[in-house]
Amino acid sequence: MAPQPTTGRRLLVVERAYRGSVETQFADVLYLARELNRQQDGLDILLRGLAVTFATADDDAPARSLRIGRIDLDTLPDPRASLRTLLAEGAGVWAEEADLTGLGTAPDRLLPGVRRARPDSRPDWSAYQGVHFL
Amino acid sequence: MAGLLPRADVLIAIMGAPHTGDLVTSAFRLSQALLARGARVHLWTCGHATGLTRQALGPAKPRNVVDWAREYPTTAALAAELLAAFPTTLHWYACRFCSQERGADAHIPGIRLRAPFKFTEHLDAADKAFFLGVC
Repeated sequence: MAPQPTTGRRLLVVERAYRGSVETQFADVLYLARELNRQQDGLDILLRGLAVTFATADDDAPARSLRIGRIDLDTLPDPRASLRTLLAEGAGVWAEEADLTGLGTAPDRLLPGVRRARPDSRPDWSAYQGVHFL
Repeated sequence: MAGLLPRADVLIAIMGAPHTGDLVTSAFRLSQALLARGARVHLWTCGHATGLTRQALGPAKPRNVVDWAREYPTTAALAAELLAAFPTTLHWYACRFCSQERGADAHIPGIRLRAPFKFTEHLDAADKAFFLGVC
């Protein structure tokens, strides 16, 4: 018999990162996740691949503004700020530890509240109502 | 025929699609950096990149529901800004075939449609050519 969900929550898996900046601005994948979190009254996000960099601490992140013509475009995507908002609004956020390690991310470089997904502690896909790749 | 086109120091051909990576951002950054230093730049868009200057995009993106009052410029508005800021040194061309195939042939003012079989003229008009992405 197929395993039964034990939570009403859904798990969003995000693997692809950096899908445009000047054309995307606020409307990135985490904007969609935030709206789904509102509609679903809670969900979890598992970051994998390059998307784990969304969850790294941003003390030394470069300024996010771009000169185009005579204007400064300062509305580029800000995935770290978006993750902090998602955490504050009750979403659970996991980052795949193997991918963090592969990218050379130091152990203390995760945003507070983000959990490391590893073999002995990771979201159980079969426990969710659904698993969606965004 | 190449003589009909203005000369350019650099041709940047945006072949890859928007919303797939930071290729379009790189094209804007590179163009800005070159133009700010006085270089003459040609931009050419092919494939889905022709949609960057689609007139139907209008000046602003759809509203951000969590920041309703804020306006976010479309790529068409950013292209118009770049053309206005560098009116003599920037020329922007869009592939006619790709534009028509995608219903994007109504471009903002300042974008010139060119047939793909004229592309060699554009390569000949520029000292160097960068291709960003693939169609």
